[in-house]
Amino acid sequence: MSVVQLPISIQLGFMTIFQENNTTLGGYLVTNSWGRPIEFRMSSGVQPNRMHQILYANTLQEYLHADLIGKALLDKSSSAVHLLFTDSLGTLSLRSRVNFPVVAIWDAGDNRGQEFDRVTYKHLSTPGFNQTMVMDPGFAEEEDTVLAILQRLDKAFDLTEPFQRIREAMGEARKMGVANRA
Amino acid sequence: MEQENLMTLQNSSSFPETEKSQIHGIRGSLDLVESDRDDQSVVQEGNLPEKSFSEIIEPRLVLDSPKVETIALLEESSLAIIDPPSWKNELIPKIREPRLLNDSPWVRSPVPLEMKVQVSGWKFPVPIVETLPKPILNPKDSPDEEAVISDKELPDVSIPSNKIKTRIRPRPASDTVLFKDRLLYLLQPPLDHLFGDKQIAVPFKPFPYQLEGIAFLMPRHGALLADEMGLGKTAQAILSMRLLFHSGMISSALIICPKPLVFNWVREIQLWAPDLPFEFFQGDLEERRRTWFVSNCPMKIINYEMITRDAELLSDPRIGVDLVVLDEAQRIKNRTSKTAQIVCSLKRSRSWAITGTPIENRPEDLINLFAFIDPGKVPEGTPLKQIGTLTKDHILRRTKEMVQNDMPPKLIHDIPIELSPDQKISYELAEKEGVIRLNALGDTITVQHVFQLVMRLKQICNFDPVTGASSKLEQLVADMEEVSENQRKAIVFSQWVEPLEMIDKALKPFGPLQFHGKIPQLERIKILDQFKSDPSKHVILMSYGTGSVGLNLQFCDYVFLFDRWWNPAIEDQAINRAHRIGQKNPVTVIRFVVHNSIEQRIANILEAKRKLFQEVLEQAGSPASIGLSENEIFSLFDIQARPHKIAA
Repeated sequence: MSVVQLPISIQLGFMTIFQENNTTLGGYLVTNSWGRPIEFRMSSGVQPNRMHQILYANTLQEYLHADLIGKALLDKSSSAVHLLFTDSLGTLSLRSRVNFPVVAIWDAGDNRGQEFDRVTYKHLSTPGFNQTMVMDPGFAEEEDTVLAILQRLDKAFDLTEPFQRIREAMGEARKMGVANRA
Repeated sequence: MEQENLMTLQNSSSFPETEKSQIHGIRGSLDLVESDRDDQSVVQEGNLPEKSFSEIIEPRLVLDSPKVETIALLEESSLAIIDPPSWKNELIPKIREPRLLNDSPWVRSPVPLEMKVQVSGWKFPVPIVETLPKPILNPKDSPDEEAVISDKELPDVSIPSNKIKTRIRPRPASDTVLFKDRLLYLLQPPLDHLFGDKQIAVPFKPFPYQLEGIAFLMPRHGALLADEMGLGKTAQAILSMRLLFHSGMISSALIICPKPLVFNWVREIQLWAPDLPFEFFQGDLEERRRTWFVSNCPMKIINYEMITRDAELLSDPRIGVDLVVLDEAQRIKNRTSKTAQIVCSLKRSRSWAITGTPIENRPEDLINLFAFIDPGKVPEGTPLKQIGTLTKDHILRRTKEMVQNDMPPKLIHDIPIELSPDQKISYELAEKEGVIRLNALGDTITVQHVFQLVMRLKQICNFDPVTGASSKLEQLVADMEEVSENQRKAIVFSQWVEPLEMIDKALKPFGPLQFHGKIPQLERIKILDQFKSDPSKHVILMSYGTGSVGLNLQFCDYVFLFDRWWNPAIEDQAINRAHRIGQKNPVTVIRFVVHNSIEQRIANILEAKRKLFQEVLEQAGSPASIGLSENEIFSLFDIQARPHKIAA
């Protein structure tokens, strides 16, 4: 494992893109290495029609997650991050557009992403949990960087928990009518 | 063509006769046409009025009809025509342009191929730079062991990780209006995560109910933490402040507490927030002025007496803090008091009150507390039933029974004491003379007169004023022998200092220490430390006023109430010095009550009122007073005299 130089303060990005009522939405949270919020972004919903489904076919999800919503969220953000976590495989291809590692992460037991390169970092697991991490195989050489960053994090940090926060915040935005402005 | 024909026919008055006849012939042909259409229409010459020429030629549309036949008529013959009613109105041709020739053809528009997404976002105050974790020197040293501060006195209350099932996170309060503020709290990490191994060092992991208390305090600008004594309100407040400082939500805080508790706060801050710099106000006015105006220390501690003296300084507009924490907030229960007015006048954005007895005497105490917590929220004179509704979101109160199922029990024993012969003589004499004197006062009697008699009798119940005999003391000495033999420690509470000094002499074999108003402030910390650490010191003698609040004496297993206080809430506070978090053994509370005496009568009244205390907090009842009312004090004796207003 090569030595990786990291800054004193690490900022993490958490991006969740999910489907709700045939609409795809995205949320993005930038935190410090303790999980404290620094910036939050959320997208409006996107509803592909039949023509999009025909045109994009199997690449539709990747297009929506990475090229459309993911890119828009990152473009609008003004906070730098050192590692981006996402809970969808379709967002992994964002890596080609940014200069920091992108890792998809799920709680253990989820068998998605078996075809991808896996990095399992058991030390990070919170009691009773074990997360699975997946990287874009084209950027597998960044594994050392990812592991170095993960080592800097508290082992009690449940890395899938911020996605829940993002969803709650988006729900609150909808409840307060703020989502309409998005 | 039609128009041209029409023009021609309208000028037919100048037509030559031959042409007219032709036209008549046309008319005749028209008749034929009409007769074809309607068999009942018959042309009868000579019977019909003549029509003008223009009228005759009016039905012009059939001019070009191929069916028209021209009939030659004689000049003499007249032509009568039945005017068809349906043709009376002038027919105006309506010409519609052919739409298909001029309009662009309608075509179904294609679905936009491009999908668009809009993004909205918010930035938050920058949290402090997190510190790097300590290097692990020995692989055997797990981070768990590093994070725990070694302190034998601290209880082992770490929560097994498998018991943490749900995340405890701050939620925006109902009065958090701005969406950005609500987001900031919603996006905070779970508290059990924050108090993990590397992030925020704590001596031991807070209990889940304490995390809930922190989650309650953090997002609230006005909050009342009213947990029962001994549940760690101070720790919850300090950790909440620490998180707010860390997240950049506040940059200054002022803690106001009773004078005896200043050093308690100092100790607690050092324990729970060692990374937060603090200072406490002391010295003369000039020194305090520097602390107010010059010092940049983010957290400052001041006692009630001092802040009252600095009222003039506080009127300066430069003084303002992000958060004011009011410990033992019942001190401002009287809103007209100078202390309450000064505290309420402080410029602040957040107001937290901490007290185990939010209602010490009357439900109005709570209203007065809210004059500080959320000015205007509960107006003076608010009906009791509405107080609960208005304050619901701002109050958090838990009892030990609610949160600590495994807390050792509190065993209360009322020990009936028979007065010694000397005491009995003195007591009966004093009561008899006292009642006679009170009755002699007639209408001029006041509650103070009765109060003086009560105090006198209570003192006799403690010690005989002539011989110094005391049944209570004999009982206490006997009990202390048992405490001492079991290597336990005890606290003795009394209302007065003098009895404590007499008890001190009698308990010399048990290493007594005194902790009351006559003991200088700086010596008190040493006394507490000595009592804690010296195994030969088995008992500490405390006055209710000095020792009943804020002290952590959970290493004591016995509490003696040598005499009773007027207010059960104060007694509870005193008992909870020992019965609090960290206590591992059952706490035995022994209350000495002299049988058939003023003490017994007071105890009976207080016991009945104690039950109402909880009812008020739960808004189920509305007692007028928790302590003794004026009427109740008069009812302690069989006296006929009453002041005017009572008698009325």
